[in-house]
Amino acid sequence: MSANIRPAGVFDVNYGQDISLNRTRGDRWLANGLFLLLLLVPLLTVEGPLGVNLIPQSWIGLIVRIAIYVIAVQGLNILTGYTGQISLGHAAFMAVGAYSAAIFARNLGFPFWVALPAAALFTGLVGLLFGLPSLRVKGFYLAMATLAAQFIIPWLLRYPLTPLTNGSRPLEVPIPTLGPLSFAHESAFYYIAVPLSVFLMLAARNIMRTRTGRAFISIRDNDLAAELLGINVFAYKLQAFFLSALYAGIAGVLLAFNDNSLSLDKFSLGLSIEFLAMLVIGGAGFPLGPLFGVAFVNLLNQEIIPNRLIPALGGVLPQLLPFIDRINIISALSPLLFGFILVVFLILAPRGLAHRWEIFKIAWKIRPYSH
Amino acid sequence: MTTFLETNKRYLTTAAYILVALLLLLWLVPIIGGQRPARLIQSTVTGLLVGGVYALIALGIVIINKASGVFNFAHGWMMLFGGLVFYSFFSAAGVSLLAAGALALLTVIMALTMAGWRSLLQPRTALIGVAAFIVLTVLMALPGREWQYMRAIIGAITGGVLVGLAIERFTIRPLIGQPLFAMVLMTLAIAELLNGVTQLVWGSVEIPLQVFAWVGQLGLPQPIRYDARDTLGGIIIIRTELLFAFLLALLAFVAFVLFFRYTNVGLAMRGVAEDQRLAQALGMRVRVILAVAWAIAALLATTAGVLQGGATSLSLNMPLLALLAFPAVLLGGLESITGALVGGLIIGLVQEWANLLFPGTQAGTELAPYLVLMVVLIVRPDGLFGQKRIERI
Repeated sequence: MSANIRPAGVFDVNYGQDISLNRTRGDRWLANGLFLLLLLVPLLTVEGPLGVNLIPQSWIGLIVRIAIYVIAVQGLNILTGYTGQISLGHAAFMAVGAYSAAIFARNLGFPFWVALPAAALFTGLVGLLFGLPSLRVKGFYLAMATLAAQFIIPWLLRYPLTPLTNGSRPLEVPIPTLGPLSFAHESAFYYIAVPLSVFLMLAARNIMRTRTGRAFISIRDNDLAAELLGINVFAYKLQAFFLSALYAGIAGVLLAFNDNSLSLDKFSLGLSIEFLAMLVIGGAGFPLGPLFGVAFVNLLNQEIIPNRLIPALGGVLPQLLPFIDRINIISALSPLLFGFILVVFLILAPRGLAHRWEIFKIAWKIRPYSH
Repeated sequence: MTTFLETNKRYLTTAAYILVALLLLLWLVPIIGGQRPARLIQSTVTGLLVGGVYALIALGIVIINKASGVFNFAHGWMMLFGGLVFYSFFSAAGVSLLAAGALALLTVIMALTMAGWRSLLQPRTALIGVAAFIVLTVLMALPGREWQYMRAIIGAITGGVLVGLAIERFTIRPLIGQPLFAMVLMTLAIAELLNGVTQLVWGSVEIPLQVFAWVGQLGLPQPIRYDARDTLGGIIIIRTELLFAFLLALLAFVAFVLFFRYTNVGLAMRGVAEDQRLAQALGMRVRVILAVAWAIAALLATTAGVLQGGATSLSLNMPLLALLAFPAVLLGGLESITGALVGGLIIGLVQEWANLLFPGTQAGTELAPYLVLMVVLIVRPDGLFGQKRIERI
């Protein structure tokens, strides 16, 4: 919608301009500049080669984490936001990617660069398998099928596949290398995760502008009408499942190689739900939604709640509520605050931050005229 | 070839199902044959008994789904919360008049104003409210051990209704008209909030709820043992707590079903679920019906939580347990109340059998019900007793 609104005097004169993502020169400079800045971030920390202390080292880990989760949530966005199929099993697909990459690297000796696409493809195929019920069911029934995936996949990984996956115990993952380069340090891994994340965001955005993407959106908006228009609903749903699981698989692989150890507890139902929460907070069905949602929820859960709100409230609340155990207050604050913020978000902005961002962008472009 | 497939589709599907069933039997029969019959009977009995509570959980989920089309993911936390409220009233020697009064006041106000604050101005409603407030407060504040059951039951009902009404009022009502997706996520947010509240008030709990202590006074042996070492090769043990939880669950189930049959609330709920605007045009008060549905679901959750807590214990496992009701709901059929009962019993049975056949792998709680769910979704998405629907792509 905002794509059609441009500052006064900017016109398309050829087809290339019409289909480009960045319509104006300013946009292009902004996008490229931001990407370069993002790449510069690890160089400006204490442990970087320049040795300047401009950016705290803890940001690197946070940005890598956000980059990885953005990939996963973008996958969910393709399936849930664009195609309208609710998935409660996204964390399980991530687990498939992580474990298959770890197994490829450990048992078959694949280097990281081969294990990544192989595991991603494998995860996509598993996603297809669990997308099969979408032949017959939709809506909440399908959500139940993915809930089943969320339980069946970790069970398979934990019990029958114990020799490969180490069961409930952590599994060591080798460090990715490229020739003499080793990506052991998180600042080095930054240069794998962040560009890949940016690339996959752009890829998702472009997929959504193709025939396939438009078919996805038509299925979400009205599946009967889509079928009537000659769209093969089932085939496109399966494609959406494949793509979504592919993205989840890539995110899983990156998570495995980033942490260098894997355990199944990371991929619980809670994570699947958190992904959905991130998607809705960010804005389902918007290309930038995952970025907003993941950044917001991660900042909230990793930084604001534990480091800002809990010390602030942890000092005051025990005095206000003397009849409640102090330890209980501290451990309860995180779910309470997260739940509360989620409720507030759902009531005030059920379409997410990205929707607000679009409104803001339009207002900015047509300033100073509000209509 | 394709025409052959098309014309004989039904026979081919049936044949495929029979083939798969046969293969499953071939795989399972040796495993079952290796077990002693006593163990099999034990698992069957325990499974059915466990399934009673699942049916109650499933009923709560079905009611919310009927009234608003939403799957309530907070049901497990509502169970735990209700059970813990019950525990607090049950274990305390007495409750202060102030606390009881505050709880009663909040609940009465929420219940009376579910259609709007104006109803408080009507003298009849206000009178009923004052009377209910006084009765509830007195009943909850009765001191002494001999009143602990009365106190706990009234307290849990009041607390459960309050939670249900509050959820509907503050989180579901603002979302009417928004995408259903937002409402489902809202139930997840409520789960998170209830998680925080339970942790805040009770901590990370593992409380065996001694509600069935009176069973010992009846003269029944605890647990009931049936010695069949000669005939079946083992002792069959039925835990009395489990048996009574099952019986009470069935009783509660029947009570709620009768309530729906002989009042028009159930019919109104179906009308609201079908089309909210149409229901409103026909003179139904959609808000009131939604609020009632949530209150009833919270009551069901509280009952299930207390019974489950009495049969095993109140712990943070309970929300995970409530997820097992989803396979039960779908197996029985989403719209069907009979289905909730049958589905719950079957899931309990499947769970215990899986635990018996594949020991040490959590197959009962983590795998088997969800495999059943997948099979149901692929083979018969309407469930055993559900309505046949046309929209299913």
